[in-house]
Amino acid sequence: MSLVQILFYIMAFITLASAIFVAASKTLVRSIFMFFITLFALAGLYVLALADFVAITQIVIYVGGILVLILFAFMLSGRETLEALQKQKKQFISVNKTGALFLAAIFFIVLLNMVLKVDADHLPWITNAIQTKNVIAPINVTTDNIGINLMTRYLLPFEAISILLMMALVGAAHLSRKEQTL
Amino acid sequence: MSFYLTYFAIGIGLFAFSAVFALVGVYAERKVSAFIQDRLGPTETGKFGMLQTLADGLKLIQKELIVPAAADKLLFIMAPAIIFIAVYMGFAAMPWGPGLVPTSLNLGLFYIFAIISIETLGILMAGWGSNNKYSILGSMRSVAQIISYEIPAGFAIISVVMIAQSLNMQTIATQQGILSTEGVKFFGFWDVSKIGGIFAWNIFRAPHLLIAFVIYFIASLAESNRAPFDIPEAESELVAGFHTEYTGMRFAFVFFSEYSMMFLVSMISVVLFLGAWNTPLPNIGALHLADWTTGNGWGIIWILIKSLALVGIQMWIRWTLPRLRVDQLMSLCWKVLTPLAFACMLISGVWRIFLM
Repeated sequence: MSLVQILFYIMAFITLASAIFVAASKTLVRSIFMFFITLFALAGLYVLALADFVAITQIVIYVGGILVLILFAFMLSGRETLEALQKQKKQFISVNKTGALFLAAIFFIVLLNMVLKVDADHLPWITNAIQTKNVIAPINVTTDNIGINLMTRYLLPFEAISILLMMALVGAAHLSRKEQTL
Repeated sequence: MSFYLTYFAIGIGLFAFSAVFALVGVYAERKVSAFIQDRLGPTETGKFGMLQTLADGLKLIQKELIVPAAADKLLFIMAPAIIFIAVYMGFAAMPWGPGLVPTSLNLGLFYIFAIISIETLGILMAGWGSNNKYSILGSMRSVAQIISYEIPAGFAIISVVMIAQSLNMQTIATQQGILSTEGVKFFGFWDVSKIGGIFAWNIFRAPHLLIAFVIYFIASLAESNRAPFDIPEAESELVAGFHTEYTGMRFAFVFFSEYSMMFLVSMISVVLFLGAWNTPLPNIGALHLADWTTGNGWGIIWILIKSLALVGIQMWIRWTLPRLRVDQLMSLCWKVLTPLAFACMLISGVWRIFLM
């Protein structure tokens, strides 16, 4: 096995193990902090796939932003709410979990179907790309390509997302404003 | 296999550097504060008290590592390590000389920006793990402050990146001196590619980058929790903030990371704005001062001098200015620094298109 393969298996193991811990842990805070390890290992997998920009963006947005937001929401919510959450039934299968179990089972079947049907080693677009030499080498700079594509081919989705974020900002500012006493 | 050995040597070397810097930094901080407050500072241990921090370190190693009974043990123990590693990993992409850079990442700047934001997570971990009201208040304040100040810092960085057209720290550094291949202009009109020196630094390549530098410097003070933005560990209100419960080496690690962070942010501002490892001496006629003082050895000397000067200014500010209130801190960030940083970014775009 090459070093890259060994690294891939280590990262994949960390991702899966920490994700299982996140789902199974009894203490909420620990599972949030464990989620950080999942995200970090995922970023490592992105780096192995030569998507270094995506990897770092993942860390900036998820670790620096969303995870901290989740932690804030957790720390600002009252103790009673949290205790009620932690006193849930420990039974793995129960009547009020049928919906979730059903969804999970369907999703699992879809995934399994995908894995069995896709012949990952001989995908047509991959063989095509290898034949036409349309591949990225580890030393290539990918950011220029991303920037140019965002400003030309994907300009409309990019602008739509900016407007959505702008609306969210205005909404947040409006909600957090003090009530005017008139 | 020898390149693996080089990797280890560089990693250990950077660690040793941050440890030594913390020792020297604490001593310097004490002497500077003593000078500013008209005291003597440490005098007993060694000549001029120079062994004081070493003695403190020995004391901290011997101390018992206490874990509070009500603390979340795992989080409590892991937090100082995560805080320190986050800062230490940032050094991986910093250039030290024309050919001296641990990893020449093409996304170096973005990487450093991402890694620094992990520190907030460690601080939250420390605050929650301690299970202490002061700790959690301190960590909440710290995180709110760091996240808010990341925005002006980020836009100040973007305004440099728009001028430099690269995220690679080494490329940004090379552009600011005589080794530049694309030509440097002082304020956009005077070609100084052959003259180099202080005129080729980023703050003089475009006038608005001087403002961006000040914005970044202020924001970096807040990001490293230094006064006047030290409300996370405000002694008079919160005992010691998020590291109230830490003892012994764990406390030392929190301290290490604070001093490493000070050096890291100073080094980032030196690389982005103050010419990185380039010499401040220009070529004047037959005196090729810039050619003579450019090289790997000189690079390390220049970048150390510049970064230490910025660290010195950070200390000077800490012992001169009073602490800001939380609301003053936030209004400074959102009402003054963020709009200014946005303006800098806009000017950068116009400057790049019309004047370069």
